Amino acid sequence: MSNDTSDLPQATGRRLEELEKGLFTSDLSVNEFLLIKEVGFHPLGLVMGSSIYHTGIQTRKWSQSQELTKLTEAMYNARELAMTRMEEEAAQLGADGVVGVRLDVNYYEWGKDAAEFIAVGTAVKAEDGVSRRNKLGKPFTSDLSGQDFWTLVQTGYFPQGLVMGTCVYHIAHRGLGQTLGSAGQNVELPNFTQALYEARELAMTRMQDEATALDATGIVGVRLEEKSHQWGSHTIEFLSLGTAVVKASDVVSLDRPLTIVSLDN
Amino acid sequence: MTGAGDETALNLPAELRRAVASLGGPAAAGAVTTSDLSIDEELNLHSLGWEPLELVSGYSVFSVAPGYWSWGQGEIASASAAHDGAFRHAIARMHRDAAAVGAHGVVGVHVERVVASSHVEISLLGTAVRPVGTRAIPADQVFVSDLSARDFTLLRTAGWEPLGLAVGASFVFAPRRRVGTVLQQQSQNVELTNFTEAIYAARESAMERMQKSALALKGTGVVDVKVVEGPMSFASHAVGFAAWGTVVRMVGDAHQLIHPRAVVSLNDLDVAFDARKLE
Repeated sequence: MSNDTSDLPQATGRRLEELEKGLFTSDLSVNEFLLIKEVGFHPLGLVMGSSIYHTGIQTRKWSQSQELTKLTEAMYNARELAMTRMEEEAAQLGADGVVGVRLDVNYYEWGKDAAEFIAVGTAVKAEDGVSRRNKLGKPFTSDLSGQDFWTLVQTGYFPQGLVMGTCVYHIAHRGLGQTLGSAGQNVELPNFTQALYEARELAMTRMQDEATALDATGIVGVRLEEKSHQWGSHTIEFLSLGTAVVKASDVVSLDRPLTIVSLDN
Repeated sequence: MTGAGDETALNLPAELRRAVASLGGPAAAGAVTTSDLSIDEELNLHSLGWEPLELVSGYSVFSVAPGYWSWGQGEIASASAAHDGAFRHAIARMHRDAAAVGAHGVVGVHVERVVASSHVEISLLGTAVRPVGTRAIPADQVFVSDLSARDFTLLRTAGWEPLGLAVGASFVFAPRRRVGTVLQQQSQNVELTNFTEAIYAARESAMERMQKSALALKGTGVVDVKVVEGPMSFASHAVGFAAWGTVVRMVGDAHQLIHPRAVVSLNDLDVAFDARKLE
């Protein structure tokens, strides 16, 4: 999906052209805006990508734990579409990167199996004119807040890309015999434990693969989200998200933190 | 805002009568000040040499004629115009209220926004502020900003000033898919391009309008942009996109670095684990 590069609708051209004239827009708070300036970046514009996506149907076996590959693909493709479109907008603005990226999924009552995937962030450019794009020549992306971005840069690391992995997993129901057998006892439910482990591992591994492709040395701010979306209680999406970073320099310019006792309550 | 005359007829306690009377005119020395700022925010303002004056509001409702949401194509111009009109009127009323108390700006504006099938309602509430001891300025020069007093202080310290609110909104129809297409796509993973394109169209018009209003205020940037977007809950094939934020401009020639320091708070952490929540 990511190879058809010019799938931005026509109208984006005009808005982005206007932005090139010097006005910037950003959903960064004032704090974040000032911190981005502090590390030598200037915001260029709010960039977005979205895709409204219809997820297919996959049958599940009641008593079998399995990955639902069709749903995994849907969740991954749709997010990838949104992310790629956002990156294209950023590239068009000549940005070095996108900070404060939010990835959201919205469901609406009217649309069964249809969901809106959206990626929003602020495109930034280095004020010294040196390109900070990642090794693929694309703007770096990061879901770090302005505060986290500032701190990260002070410690000599630099973000390369927002990486993610997802896995939609169906967890088997327990048979009546098993349920009765363990009633009244403290026991681990190994089939549940194992299914959750496997799904989580799959999601994390996929995320790490993306980071490896960017030659990253680490992933910071990893979040692991578990969502049932609209599939009922036994089908869960495991989504892991984080910012892949590389060590850009050994200089740590972050001062020793000052310890404070706040008098607020 | 109906004038102090009506209230004085009632048998109100003296204190309340004085407060009500002071709502009408510019704040004189010793007059009562109302604001929804916290103590910290008020201190922040004073550190800049500014003071809060009064809680001011702006409110406007525009109707959307029935039937506009269900069928058609392209932009739902009537709804976009209603959104635009309601915002413009609410902001203008806030300007007027703020100018009447001698303010130079309004900070911490809460924006409440209702988009329903029959109307668009915008209500704004914020604290009017001015540099201590300055005179009133014309209403159209008063700035309205949804930044908190704290953000306002920080922004001024870094050499920037808020100029006003920039707003843009657009509502667009998504063409219906043919029944055949719907059935065919039922079991597939596909992008619903009709909706994606409608969202894009709405976003581009809305963001462009926001940028236009920012340029009209002679701003060089819009910070803290809020975005509300997505299909409308009450109409199956209409999508909307609205964005608003505070327009800013650099006051001097250069941005002032703020040199933040990293701090570790020694306050007690909130209880992270509570065994009673386990069931």
